[in-house]
Amino acid sequence: MNGRERILTALEVREPDRVPLYIHGINEKPIIWIARTLTDDLPEEKEIYEMNDTEQVQLLNALFLLHEEYGVDGFTCFEIGDTVNIDETHIRDPFNVVYERSPVGIPVATEHPIHDMDDLKKYQPPKPAEEHLLLLNLARDRFKDTKAIFWMMRGSFVRSWRLCGMENLMFKMFDDPQFVHDLAKKVLEFNLASMEQVHAAGADVLIVEDDIADKNMTLVSTEQFLEFINPYNRVLVEEAHRKGMKVMRHSDGNLWNIMDILLDTGYDGLNPLEPQADMGLKKVKSYCGDRLCLIGNIDCIELLPSGTPEEVDQAVKQAIMDAGQGGGLVISSSNSLHPGTKPENCIAMFKAVEKYGKYPLQDVKTGS
Amino acid sequence: MDILVEISSSVQKGDQDSIQAQVQTALDEGLAPLEILNNGLIAGMDVVGEKFKNKEIFIPNVLIAARAMNRAMEVLKPRLAETGAKPAGKYVIGTVLGDHHDIGKNLVRMMLQGKGFEVVDLGINVPPQRFVEAITGDTDIVGMSALLSTTRPLMKDTIDAIQAAGLRDRVKVMVGGGAITEAYAKEIGADGYGSDAILSAELALRLVGQKGEV
Repeated sequence: MNGRERILTALEVREPDRVPLYIHGINEKPIIWIARTLTDDLPEEKEIYEMNDTEQVQLLNALFLLHEEYGVDGFTCFEIGDTVNIDETHIRDPFNVVYERSPVGIPVATEHPIHDMDDLKKYQPPKPAEEHLLLLNLARDRFKDTKAIFWMMRGSFVRSWRLCGMENLMFKMFDDPQFVHDLAKKVLEFNLASMEQVHAAGADVLIVEDDIADKNMTLVSTEQFLEFINPYNRVLVEEAHRKGMKVMRHSDGNLWNIMDILLDTGYDGLNPLEPQADMGLKKVKSYCGDRLCLIGNIDCIELLPSGTPEEVDQAVKQAIMDAGQGGGLVISSSNSLHPGTKPENCIAMFKAVEKYGKYPLQDVKTGS
Repeated sequence: MDILVEISSSVQKGDQDSIQAQVQTALDEGLAPLEILNNGLIAGMDVVGEKFKNKEIFIPNVLIAARAMNRAMEVLKPRLAETGAKPAGKYVIGTVLGDHHDIGKNLVRMMLQGKGFEVVDLGINVPPQRFVEAITGDTDIVGMSALLSTTRPLMKDTIDAIQAAGLRDRVKVMVGGGAITEAYAKEIGADGYGSDAILSAELALRLVGQKGEV
């Protein structure tokens, strides 16, 4: 099997030839650190927006290379080139949301174009642009169907709160519910148009990226999730399935109070399954592992930054023991491979999948 | 219904429209501002905090409760000042340098205010020196939040900066956030770790040794 077949089989909760390996997100520095084991053709360590064109191509090649050489079976794509610089630290996206760049993570929304119903009535979401699919097109051409191509789409909650501010959105759930619905409809309008493009461009898996929980609980109540958020994400799932794509739900945090809703919505996979948020593989596998592919869980808070390669090796082995039987498991970190992770630990994770992940899994059970 | 029960109920429901009039009624009835604060507003926020801790309510309910309390305080605060009432403590809070996440920090702020603390919120992306500069003679606690494991070393840097300024013995230091564990809090020499907003507020009360009394 190639990587694409492996991922798609796992998303159908069947056993591929080995447990697939996936990187959901990775920062510039870990790309460079890991790729140093493979090539010298690398840019200096800095953020991508600080790189010139040559350095950006080097970084992208390094990212592709590490997927190829370490047997990573899926590749995550997202819009690039869709933001404009306002000043050294601020950028604006096509939705007119302003973000502050962070040297240690993704940019954070700091200014929102919509505050109330008057703003919303005047607001027109952007049209998705073909040129922002560059990463997807490059990945498809590079991997030529050997790896599953994932497309990251911001879901209803994340896109809505970026447009109007999170606390404002939560207040509006009480003060002006129609505002929340109308905003979600505008987000959905964009997402459906975007899905047409990414499907035509060859994406295999839609990621509904919609963080809705912290490590203790969901950010909104189950009832609010059912009323304001899930109906709009459900449309994405149904439309993606109509197009023949698989759908992976991404949300950080503890999702137990909405797990049945997620299952009913028809997602094929769930990511990133943070161990610190009570999303341990054994527990999730036991609850719904026959209905949902589990993607993630290798701890990037403590283990990948502070552990040893031997500990990572054992954690991957344990994950495969806990959730590998019957398929429906993809090994990935419990969130992005961020600059705090050690490259040797990331590589240990990759190698352990090859070592322990071959089906049938009897060898893992005996520990050999 | 007892007016203090009504005020507590309005906090719990997040009823910002009724609460100012209710506080005014309580004042007109001759109740002491401190009694209205403790047995109306803080009593209401205690119920909110307990329900939040037990996962019976979620962040949006806490937000509207805190908003209602703030509306009530617009009426009550001048009257409290006249009586010379002191807050439960003074707490300086912020998300550390490099980290722009604020919802968890804001929840802690609301719960602290709900316990009667005066809170100085430095916002997000706060450099160590700004924490140091915010410490005044009556500051009891400095609280830091970090969601990212890449930013949590800034907590240690901030503690070091407080130490270097000669202020470490005068304030307690609390830490919390998605990237923080109790073990990490101990490792960097913090006085307390808040695993969630309500536990943070309860810990803050213990640290100032006032147990909810104002």
